[in-house]
Amino acid sequence: MNEVLITATASITGLGPDLDTTWRRLLAGETAVRPIRRFDAGRYPARNASWIEGLESRGNRSLLYPLLERLLDGIGPLPPGCRLVTATTKGCIDTFERVRKGLPGVVDDIPVSGPLTWLASRLGLSDPGVNISSACASSTMAVARAAAMIESGSADAVFVVCMDLVSEFVFSGFSSLQALDPAGCRPFDRYRNGLSLGEGGAALLMTSAESARGEGIRGIGSVVGWGAANDATHVTAPARDGCGLIQAVRRAMAKASIGPDDISAINAHGTGTVYNDSMEVTAFEAVFGSRRIPLNSLKGAIGHTLGAAGGIEVAVGLRSLADRTLPPTAGFGEPMERCGFPVSSLPQPIGGRYLLSTNSGFGGINVALILKGNPE
Amino acid sequence: MTGSVVAGIGWITSQGPGGGREARKFSMAPGPIPPVTREDVFPEPNLRFGRLPQYSRVGLAAVAFALRDAGMEHWETKRSAGIVASTRAGCLATDIEYYNTVLPEGGGLPSPNLFSSTLPTCFLGEAAIQFGLTGPTLIVNDPAEDALGGVRMALESLSWGECGTMLAGHIDLPAEPAIPGIRPPYTGGLFMVLESARDAAASGYGTLDLSGGGAVRRDGVEIADLNELVRACLAFPRPS
Repeated sequence: MNEVLITATASITGLGPDLDTTWRRLLAGETAVRPIRRFDAGRYPARNASWIEGLESRGNRSLLYPLLERLLDGIGPLPPGCRLVTATTKGCIDTFERVRKGLPGVVDDIPVSGPLTWLASRLGLSDPGVNISSACASSTMAVARAAAMIESGSADAVFVVCMDLVSEFVFSGFSSLQALDPAGCRPFDRYRNGLSLGEGGAALLMTSAESARGEGIRGIGSVVGWGAANDATHVTAPARDGCGLIQAVRRAMAKASIGPDDISAINAHGTGTVYNDSMEVTAFEAVFGSRRIPLNSLKGAIGHTLGAAGGIEVAVGLRSLADRTLPPTAGFGEPMERCGFPVSSLPQPIGGRYLLSTNSGFGGINVALILKGNPE
Repeated sequence: MTGSVVAGIGWITSQGPGGGREARKFSMAPGPIPPVTREDVFPEPNLRFGRLPQYSRVGLAAVAFALRDAGMEHWETKRSAGIVASTRAGCLATDIEYYNTVLPEGGGLPSPNLFSSTLPTCFLGEAAIQFGLTGPTLIVNDPAEDALGGVRMALESLSWGECGTMLAGHIDLPAEPAIPGIRPPYTGGLFMVLESARDAAASGYGTLDLSGGGAVRRDGVEIADLNELVRACLAFPRPS
């Protein structure tokens, strides 16, 4: 079995055009959730989201392309034979909106194969790639898939690209479900009242350790465990008992050959909805018992970036392990009921080498990853 | 790679519903898909089916027919089986229906019920609930013309030991005339129940595996596309 390294990361979020800026502003406890300017949100009770400043459409193309151009800026040549796996929930949804409003738009961009083909060409890859859609766990599933491909030897290097936009299509839907917090999301807070949407992207170059070492590359960290499970309970609400997440985390720990005592920090999905956060705490208590592992969520700072969330959280998670610091949970003030895990509006120290990162989504899916930092 | 047995097949195509060895005609040629009713799929009343848009109905029905053919429809405890399907256009038909409720000329009242089906994976969640399936559930958008991306991924998952059973297939609905120019090469929904060869009691419709180059093979012969795969399976002699 091949060990799976991550040798390069990049991200773009509402907090900044690169991972360094996002990381610095996360540590400062800042949030990018602010009034939306992309469309008229005046008819919705919540009017905030985390969006990327200065994205401009060119030639009636989707805003996804300038987002990806910024994300890929500085990414070096990819290894020969590198495979491409992307993750998105709604791809070029802004093009769909334009076309349905009778405005000009490139119809070929609407199916996800549009941006997938663009990416393969932009990166000079012979592999046409595949996109994985698994609701809000899409990029977590993509990373798990890429890790399995490398571990099994069916790929030597996989470039994972995760992306989603803020759009009225998605915003109106979550608003209709009364799932948006007008005050901005407050993960694991006693007064949490819904999520905030966000947009962003992440790029992760994953390679076999053997290849990386052959090139003299040490890597940023490893993906040592992954697991996925459907809770088979409800399409839009999480299972109250956390059964799917429990199963996903246990599968990930089994894959990593580690136990609950080895996990040093948890980067949770933490959407700030009443039921999601309660479900996660229930699941983590079932797995970790009375251990009080530092827990955080990025969604108060960068919003829920949907299909990009898990990928961004991997990039930030590896930085957390390298800097031995778990970023604050923006929006958090007063601990929610029955949560024994330390959540903080300030950075928390991390003592060990393994970080658990989880995401859950519509359709009952739960995916867990275990990241391992490099030794000093 | 260890092979996996095809234990059941079910579909909804432009010719209507079908599944199993008795339904020998099969084609996912492009064309409109007739409405799918609850009575077509479930003999008993089903609270959720009537609320689902056509994309989700087609997918859920194809999963139901495949499990029925495999003798796995009924369950008492949840099962560690996953679902993966390839698609070209995803749930675009549902997106169109939902977005019509968002636009001011459509009433400007976004439908929460339709929104909850605007992810291509939502019908996989419906199937997981209906049939107690707790494995990974995902959709793969694959630009390949063979519509075998879902089968390919399921075979990988089985060989990696992620599950003992996977439902694998393909789903697409026509997007025209609402969005001219998007023409999925296959329309309808099809699923196969795949089981690890070491777990399967019978040989079903043959054994699938992947070649070193990633081609889907049935009993050692490379398969060109989804239509060819299903026809080859249906022509396979019933085990005596």
